[in-house]
Amino acid sequence: MIRLLATASLLRHRARTALAVAGVAVSAAMLLDMVMLSTGMRESFRSLLERGSFQVRVGPRGAMPFDGEATVGGAAGLLDTLRAIPGVTVVAPVLGASLHAPQGEGAVAAFALGVTAGSQGDYTLQEGREASGAGEAVLNDPMLTAVRRRVGDTLSLGTGFDPQLRTFTGLRTLRIVGRVRFRYLATEQRGVALPLPTLQAMGGDARRDRLSLVMLRVDSAADVEVIRAGIEAALPRVSALSTATALQQAEQRLGYFRQLAFILGSISLVVGFLLVTTIVTVSVNERIGEIAVMRAIGVSRGHVVQQVVLEGLVLSLVGTGGGLALGLVTARWLNSILSTFPGLPEAVDFFLFQPGPAVAALGMLVLTGLAAGAVPAWRAATLPIAGTLRREAVA
Amino acid sequence: MTAFRPMALRARTCRRALCALAAAVPAQAQAVRQAHPTIALDERLATDAGIRLGGLVVVASAPGAPGDTLRVAAFVRRSADPSEVARAEYKIRMHLGGLQRTLGYGDRVDRFAVATGDSAATGRAIAAINAAAFGFRAHRSRDIAVETSRTFAVISRFHRAIGVITIGASAIFLLCIMLMKVEERRRDVAALRLMGISAASVARSVIIEAALVSVIGSGAGVVLGVIASRLVNAYYQQLYRTPLTFSLVTPGIVAFAVALSVVLGLAAGALAARRLVRTPPLALLGR
Repeated sequence: MIRLLATASLLRHRARTALAVAGVAVSAAMLLDMVMLSTGMRESFRSLLERGSFQVRVGPRGAMPFDGEATVGGAAGLLDTLRAIPGVTVVAPVLGASLHAPQGEGAVAAFALGVTAGSQGDYTLQEGREASGAGEAVLNDPMLTAVRRRVGDTLSLGTGFDPQLRTFTGLRTLRIVGRVRFRYLATEQRGVALPLPTLQAMGGDARRDRLSLVMLRVDSAADVEVIRAGIEAALPRVSALSTATALQQAEQRLGYFRQLAFILGSISLVVGFLLVTTIVTVSVNERIGEIAVMRAIGVSRGHVVQQVVLEGLVLSLVGTGGGLALGLVTARWLNSILSTFPGLPEAVDFFLFQPGPAVAALGMLVLTGLAAGAVPAWRAATLPIAGTLRREAVA
Repeated sequence: MTAFRPMALRARTCRRALCALAAAVPAQAQAVRQAHPTIALDERLATDAGIRLGGLVVVASAPGAPGDTLRVAAFVRRSADPSEVARAEYKIRMHLGGLQRTLGYGDRVDRFAVATGDSAATGRAIAAINAAAFGFRAHRSRDIAVETSRTFAVISRFHRAIGVITIGASAIFLLCIMLMKVEERRRDVAALRLMGISAASVARSVIIEAALVSVIGSGAGVVLGVIASRLVNAYYQQLYRTPLTFSLVTPGIVAFAVALSVVLGLAAGALAARRLVRTPPLALLGR
């Protein structure tokens, strides 16, 4: 009976009900998007950092990995020290540099990584094999396209220009042995990976025995934070980042989005609340005579409250359902905008759907709708029956 | 190259790890002060490290390495550059020769800034440099600015998209409110119609009411927007320690917002009025 009356009340003004549902749906969509933004960014970065199963990253003191051209000297000694730390199972050194491939009158520039085949965590192999020999390299698709080469071809690469001699410096001819996808490069960024000693040698004095980053894989029984703190204490020229600290630093830089998500998510909740409150209040005001009659013929206050609250709940539930679909569509649209950030790794998503937080947020909106119906419901239930009937009769 | 006037040969940003600022040493005598080369420090660094003007600092290329002692001659405030807003690093300004010595960088620089007379001269200068100097690449400052502000162009597009969603939600909310306001007055309107007031007059009154609600709401919105904008600027300028203006309420934005809300209000009022005047007066009275 209560369900029937609530449904009849909502269907009596179909346009208004449809608009209210649409309003709640937009609020729910915005709320869902903001929850996806605030939690998704963190999880997406975490997933990116955890690929390759390296838990600690060691780089020059005071700099984020590859956040500039800073390198650490004394690479051989540093690697020996890191390998000797109990609990460290794999040490993967990385050197970053810009390389130039002479092409006719000009040159194609690419970001190059010097890595150790077998223990690297910077790329995944798409075709061929890893570069392990001194004269070998692997390239990603944008670079292969730019230099018009395929796996098996050779390619000349230099580390810079000598204005005096008007030639490329550190020029080497390398054989392309694989096609790869770099985890931390942007979609269109050209990339090359070659053995670490080769890149160090090509860089001359500026790169000799130097590293940009060392990635460490830690035994599952070891405490990552203890190892990280130990490295920082023992080696004052480096900074060590665990996945947790790297996430913290990334969040500091992208804190704006979390704050924006919080503000807009809160506004969505308030708008949803106001919309449902307004609709249900007006609906109750219109039916005040009906409600007084129901009370006069013996319908209990509880039943009146239940009916009115049910109206608010139905509006919220239906609107939230629509908002879920709408939110997923708009999240994809907003993600496509933010994914054009310059230099953003391909695998990073700003909007990530996670069932737990999404259900919690939308559940909160439904609860808000429930609360929004409670105030007018109580007002309806506590009407003075005789006075209301008299006023309605006079009207 | 003689045709171009070099403006500055300064390493604006030390891209290597120039991070070993040890401590400010109290100066003992004016003569000592004069003996040391000077350095300009980021005012955030001066605040955080408690460094005073005229103090001595040691700058080295790596932590623990022997460095050069320099006298703090100035504090500099970082520019309102969007591309640097989220970067927390401190910046220092040194004389070029001093920085080259500290870093062991030799007779090298990262880039030159060249001033030209006008736009045409800039084009000629770029072409001449690119043709003559092998290994160099000249760029217009404007192109570099466009490249470095790409991040904020993306954020701007994101804000516009959020704005579109917000406008959609506002339109629905406004239409809903107008519909309910009209429905509340069904009996009044029925009485007016039965008294001989024309449907057009009733519709006009509803539309005028909607326009008034929109204008008053827009005014309140503008005031709220200005207050929110100031709060946003105060908060983020303090958070990122930058003079950058994050939120700007311009007359153009105000005019657009007011016009949009009035148009939406009028549309909502027109739709609600149409529904109302199409219903027979007796039906409005519930007969």
